Amino acid sequence: MGDRLTQLQDAVDQLATQFIASINYINQHHSLETLGPRDQIVVIPKQEADQQEVDPHPEDVFRAAQVELAQDLITKEQQIEYLISILPGLDNSEQDQERNIRELEEELKVAEAQRQEAIKEREETLARLNAVICSIRRP
Amino acid sequence: MDEEQQQVASTWPLPPPFWKDFTSDNVSRIEELRKETADRLGVQDTWKVRLDGLPRELRNLQPPPEPEDGEWRVFGDRYRLKDELPQLEDGEIRRLFPDLDERDQDGKHFDRVTILKRLAKSLLLNFLELTGLLATSPEAAEDKITDIRDLFINFHHLINEYRPHQARESLITMMQSQLDRTRAETNAIRDAKDKAERVLEGLGSLTIENQVNYKTLENEESYDPDIEAWTMLLE
Repeated sequence: MGDRLTQLQDAVDQLATQFIASINYINQHHSLETLGPRDQIVVIPKQEADQQEVDPHPEDVFRAAQVELAQDLITKEQQIEYLISILPGLDNSEQDQERNIRELEEELKVAEAQRQEAIKEREETLARLNAVICSIRRP
Repeated sequence: MDEEQQQVASTWPLPPPFWKDFTSDNVSRIEELRKETADRLGVQDTWKVRLDGLPRELRNLQPPPEPEDGEWRVFGDRYRLKDELPQLEDGEIRRLFPDLDERDQDGKHFDRVTILKRLAKSLLLNFLELTGLLATSPEAAEDKITDIRDLFINFHHLINEYRPHQARESLITMMQSQLDRTRAETNAIRDAKDKAERVLEGLGSLTIENQVNYKTLENEESYDPDIEAWTMLLE
């Protein structure tokens, strides 16, 4: 998990990877066709199939995989659009941001001063309490 | 000989020899010289003053000037003083969105959202076209791949352009949360203090000391008054 922009960037990169993976799958697992009436499809024994450039999948498996890949692409694209729409600070201009930062800086200074004051008051109260307790201890 | 061996054995290179010139004496001397020169030249910022003709032992305390061409090399890489995003045109990439001046006129970023979404949709459409081309005329796919590449690079460019904006936005969020934290802490301290003060007032009105004296006399037990006092305080 990173910030929103990095998430978006990663999602875009993943989309690119999915493009390649999809083409790669189709390229490797499509069915074989004959070009002329005299061509013959050679059936390769299973153990050698791994070394072959094309390893045809059964029709229904191939279809299902295509559908899944296409759905994944759509999902990723929608993810990207969602990430775009939740980018932080879309309705702030640079001037808005600067003003905001400056205001916050001032408020922080005030709050810090108040905190210091409160700590001082606490110390004073503590000292008074301490004095009272000591006087109780030694009647 | 011994020293030489140590040098070979150490993981990191030794610090540059001029570190010994940074004595507190020398540092204060150059501070003074800077201030004098700044006053004479009427410059506000003493760090921007460059001093000429420094004595040998102070020469290393003045940082070297910035590179004139705005470029320098470290470990074989080139760096620029002004760290800016390279333009798309520099990399011979077609630009698929309007100029910065022509969009987001009001300083807001809705145009950017629209452009990004449009690019995302174009990516999908172009991929669909690419698969179609690969099936029918693979030799035409080359151009389509270039299109998709350009779309991706444009997308990344727009994202990176937005990074400074997001950085400021994160800063605002962090400051806001710090402000909230500080205020909560102040309130908690005040609450605790008020409680303690109420206890003190309670002690005053109960005239606890009399009770304590009374109890001690009766029970002859020194712990009792303490316990009494503590229970009162802990309430």
